Amino acid sequence: MISKQAASAPTRPISEQTHLVALHQQNIWRRRIAHILWHAGAVGVVLIFLLPLVWMVVASLQPTGRPPARTLTFFPAGVAWSNYAAIFRVIPLAQQLGNSLLVSTVGAGVTIVTASWAGFAMAQMPLRARRWLVGLALLLLLTPASAVWLPRYVLFAELGLIDTYIALVAPAVMGTKSLFVLMFYWSYRRMATELFESAWLDGAGVWRSWRCIALPLAAPTTLAVLVLSFSHYWSDFVDPLLFLKTSARFTVAVGLRTLQQMYLTDWSLLLAAATIMIAPVFLLYSGLQVWFRDEPDFVRRIFRQMLN
Amino acid sequence: MFLQTIRGVRASSHRFSPQTRHQLQLWLLLTPFLGGALLLIALPALVTLGLAFTRYDALAAPVWVGLENFVALFHREVFWIAVRNSLLFAVIAAPLQVTGALLLAMLLHPTRRGVHVYRSSIYLTTVIPDVAFALIWLWLLNPLYGPVNIMLGWLGAPQPAWLVEPATALPALAIMAATRMGEGMLLLIAARQALPAPLFHAAMLDGAGRWQSFRHITWPLLAPWLLLLLVRDVVIGAHGAFTPVYIMTGGGPGYATTLLPFLIYEEAFSHLRIGQAAAMMAVMFAATSLLIGFVFWRTRSWGYSDDL
Repeated sequence: MISKQAASAPTRPISEQTHLVALHQQNIWRRRIAHILWHAGAVGVVLIFLLPLVWMVVASLQPTGRPPARTLTFFPAGVAWSNYAAIFRVIPLAQQLGNSLLVSTVGAGVTIVTASWAGFAMAQMPLRARRWLVGLALLLLLTPASAVWLPRYVLFAELGLIDTYIALVAPAVMGTKSLFVLMFYWSYRRMATELFESAWLDGAGVWRSWRCIALPLAAPTTLAVLVLSFSHYWSDFVDPLLFLKTSARFTVAVGLRTLQQMYLTDWSLLLAAATIMIAPVFLLYSGLQVWFRDEPDFVRRIFRQMLN
Repeated sequence: MFLQTIRGVRASSHRFSPQTRHQLQLWLLLTPFLGGALLLIALPALVTLGLAFTRYDALAAPVWVGLENFVALFHREVFWIAVRNSLLFAVIAAPLQVTGALLLAMLLHPTRRGVHVYRSSIYLTTVIPDVAFALIWLWLLNPLYGPVNIMLGWLGAPQPAWLVEPATALPALAIMAATRMGEGMLLLIAARQALPAPLFHAAMLDGAGRWQSFRHITWPLLAPWLLLLLVRDVVIGAHGAFTPVYIMTGGGPGYATTLLPFLIYEEAFSHLRIGQAAAMMAVMFAATSLLIGFVFWRTRSWGYSDDL
């Protein structure tokens, strides 16, 4: 409607033209207000999602040894940073963090190699083998973890791997999750095949073209898989619960459970420990977000692949 | 010509032709993935299926008992309670999670300044390690001191005892699980952005409002993704809800939050009735496979593929 008026504007009296300018101005303002409203709404929603984390940090800083406040006042009795020191005394948290770091680093390190190998090989296969392998990877993706608890336990017990970290990082040999293999596969498929064909003609073997061409070009995928697999092993609770027996070998996830059993009602300590466990995961993901500045596209690809 | 000579020379120095050698090298890179998947997923899943027909306590050798475990299952009240709980959990959690993800995606899909910060803040709350997430919510839902009930008190709303009361414990767990909608949101944002923009422009020119273009364009085109997300959430909800139950309620009060994975864990690792646990696993696996198969079969014709 406005555009129609604008088209016929020159023939109209001047007073009406100024009226149109005012209308246009009003439109800009309306859009600006809509923009501000959108930001306000988005910030509100984000705050709702972050509120539990805020409460976690606030509660972790309440002084222990007195009943928690029955109101939501922030820091009624002062800020007790000492809670964070206290958990390191009541459970061997430093040791557990070290154990977790070891398991997650090894797990993530092995994962990016094996997942990237598998993805690279899949991408180079002829069409039929490729279809078959992608199907297999998707099928593995749908197999629930609880289906393999029992036999894995029996298997590891037979191999004498119970209470070792090998039992925890064993899935890294297969790329931890077939999702990671698929992520590499899709990123290698997007690369030009001529690249690898010419490398082959120049005498480069599979190993060489993986290491010198494919891996450097897939650096963003490698980074994403590194973060995802690191947090997978860092967060893993069921495997250490099943496979670890000696408390000196516990990872931080199981350590938090033991803390909970010892100090069931000491919320400040429990939530301080939870904060410490969350921190590295958040740092890694935030780093990844800053690196990419965009949402990972792979989720969409997986679902599309499944649809077709 | 030159290249062919080189390739001929290279080939003659090996037993296989270059193509075969290339293929063999590729399969070599795939070995860790395929071997690991066979040893850690495929075989264990089959073993679980086999154990379902045996009596086995991890000490003596398994004894073949035919269908006895399954018959026993049907007469065990706690199994049916767990089935009912798992279904109820999925029925509450999955639709909430998908609806929430859709609303978030509709709010945050436009490319505007600052939108990345909003998206990643919400996504971050999804990657909180399970144990820490369970501890945070155990605090939030504390009947006396928990922030949720204090806020409800401000509003003058009733303050249920949440996890302490049989009637509210399961819905509380389901709502908690549903708040992790970050992945679904990213998927739907990606899907929404992949929809052709001219459709929306045309609708706008025809005078369609926001609601109308959502109802007649966005909704039908996103329907396959919404359905897949729903199925995924049902499956993951049914199989993955072990850690929160283990940490937060221990299956109680009574059997109010005994979900199938928790019951399976208890049967296998606390009572060492491994055959019985395997039978439950088999039933659960069959049910989810049927669901997935049915959805794939129904939606085969829905799919439209414009990339991949």
